[in-house]
Amino acid sequence: MKLFNVLGQQQPSQPQFPPLPVTAPGMPSAPIAFQRGEAVGFFTDTTLCIGCKACEVACNEWNQLPAWNGGANTLSGLSYDNTRRLDGTHWRHVKFVEQFTPDRRQQNWLLMSDVCKHCVQAGCLEVCPTGAIIRTEFDTVVIQSDVCNGCRECIAACPFDVIEINPSTGSAQKCTLCYDRLQVGLTPACAQACPTASIQFGPIRELRQRADARVAQLQGQGTQAYIYGDEKMLGGLNAFFLLTDKAEVYGLPADPKLPSRNVVPSWLLSAGSAAVVGLIGLLTFRKRRMEGLVTPRAAGEEVEP
Amino acid sequence: VIRENPVHWDWLIYLEMFVAGVAAGAYATATLLEVFGRGRSPVARTAHLIAFPLMVVAAILLTVDLNRPERFWHMLVQSKTLLPMFKPWSPISVGSWLVLLFPAVAFVSFVDALIARRVFALGGWRWDRTLHGTPLGLIWSIIGGVLALAVAAYSGVLLSVTNIGGWSNSSLIGALYVATAAVTGIAAVLLIEALRGRTDPADVAGLLRAATGLILWQMLLLVVFLATLGRDGLAVFLTGSPLVAIIGAVLLGGILPLVLRFTRAGVRPSTTALFAALILVGGFLLRYAVVMGPQQGHLIPGAG
Repeated sequence: MKLFNVLGQQQPSQPQFPPLPVTAPGMPSAPIAFQRGEAVGFFTDTTLCIGCKACEVACNEWNQLPAWNGGANTLSGLSYDNTRRLDGTHWRHVKFVEQFTPDRRQQNWLLMSDVCKHCVQAGCLEVCPTGAIIRTEFDTVVIQSDVCNGCRECIAACPFDVIEINPSTGSAQKCTLCYDRLQVGLTPACAQACPTASIQFGPIRELRQRADARVAQLQGQGTQAYIYGDEKMLGGLNAFFLLTDKAEVYGLPADPKLPSRNVVPSWLLSAGSAAVVGLIGLLTFRKRRMEGLVTPRAAGEEVEP
Repeated sequence: VIRENPVHWDWLIYLEMFVAGVAAGAYATATLLEVFGRGRSPVARTAHLIAFPLMVVAAILLTVDLNRPERFWHMLVQSKTLLPMFKPWSPISVGSWLVLLFPAVAFVSFVDALIARRVFALGGWRWDRTLHGTPLGLIWSIIGGVLALAVAAYSGVLLSVTNIGGWSNSSLIGALYVATAAVTGIAAVLLIEALRGRTDPADVAGLLRAATGLILWQMLLLVVFLATLGRDGLAVFLTGSPLVAIIGAVLLGGILPLVLRFTRAGVRPSTTALFAALILVGGFLLRYAVVMGPQQGHLIPGAG
């Protein structure tokens, strides 16, 4: 597949993929090796995030995402978090969950570097009418910017509110899990930049084992930790999270669903409604036909009114 | 959990859904008249004359609404392989093909209606040898009618097949859209016939009876739709301008036409025209409410 950057410019051709061992600085464990055809993803341990937003900067820089506000600072006015949300120009976003008492004497901060979940059962991929959204050989979900025509159906279909139009390209965009970097054996930019290994990249199988061990460790210390995005959730999220509070507290749906759950019932009910329309036509126009048979029309009347 | 990234399906979309619905409903009316009524008729030809132009308008609105309109063909052809692009499980993909196929069928009926009205002739295709009125024309009409009802349904199905609260809380939007399309399609035909003032009163009476039945069906579906949304889903429709639009749709598109129907409609062309115009306004308001309601709240289903 040809690669294009966010501006629709074709990337230079990539060298043959080598099965390179990849070392991510800051990783607490041994270097991670991954191969083409192997499912890879992110395990984000929110207990390690310090809210530095280095991942956001690395993502924006590598993917040449525009500063849509023209370079001026845009303050949210409601939070210390001023990049605010995932959208077409923010493919990584460090959420600040700021919990203050009314007098602001006591506070608790939850930090979470959010990203596209690269769902195994992806709602955006299901509905995309142009084929712009594809599943790659790494089991990640990528929007091809040069194919997308901006119908915005994927925005409505994503249960995690991840996708938005990038104003620079007019196409829907989100995290590609650095597909171009993966193809040459590199770690995604955000995981590479993360200074605390809160964002860990690697083969899903290995990440799940690491996550389970971390959950056990934290629970042993009395922390209510759990994994958000296991195999029961949309077939498994290839970008999954270790959380210490309810999903809703982090702005995540507790029970995300596929949009396709409504396809069959919607078409069946529509067909039923069409049958009723036909029945009404039968009952009302049939009567007219009977009247027409009783009172024949003048010759030529139906040819030219 | 509140959705923060807007879908931006605004006036172009609800206007398109209304216009496409009227076109589809008009064509379906013609089909019903041909199948169950007294065959080809001036009223059916009027329906054929409005269906195709309105579908062209709808297709233009849809294309303009794309962020990259020049890539509209990517919905039909894979841009990199030039193979057909079709996902039967994606309502928007199905709809793209319907918006191509239905106008193609409606175009033939449109030309046939022009020829029947002696606007022009194409060789042996003359006013006294039209397609509609023959067995082949009947088959053509049935194919067009089925496509028309599918066009009417798909945009409603599309809304249900999302993850936006209010739309995805119900699988009834497609069914509601079919009813609205049918009644507004008949209303459009009635309005034109009433303004022309040359229609057989018995034809008008048949259309009035059908419109009355369809108003009742539409209102029943609207009530069931709202009643089955659940608290969160209902809330997005019962605030702000969508609430006003729903009230307007019930009053203008339901109650007032029924009052007229059982008092004065059919007596004079002006009351018939008013009856039809009210239905059209009500249908438009209903489309507005359904499209814009959930975009106010942007709830994410499954948020617990």
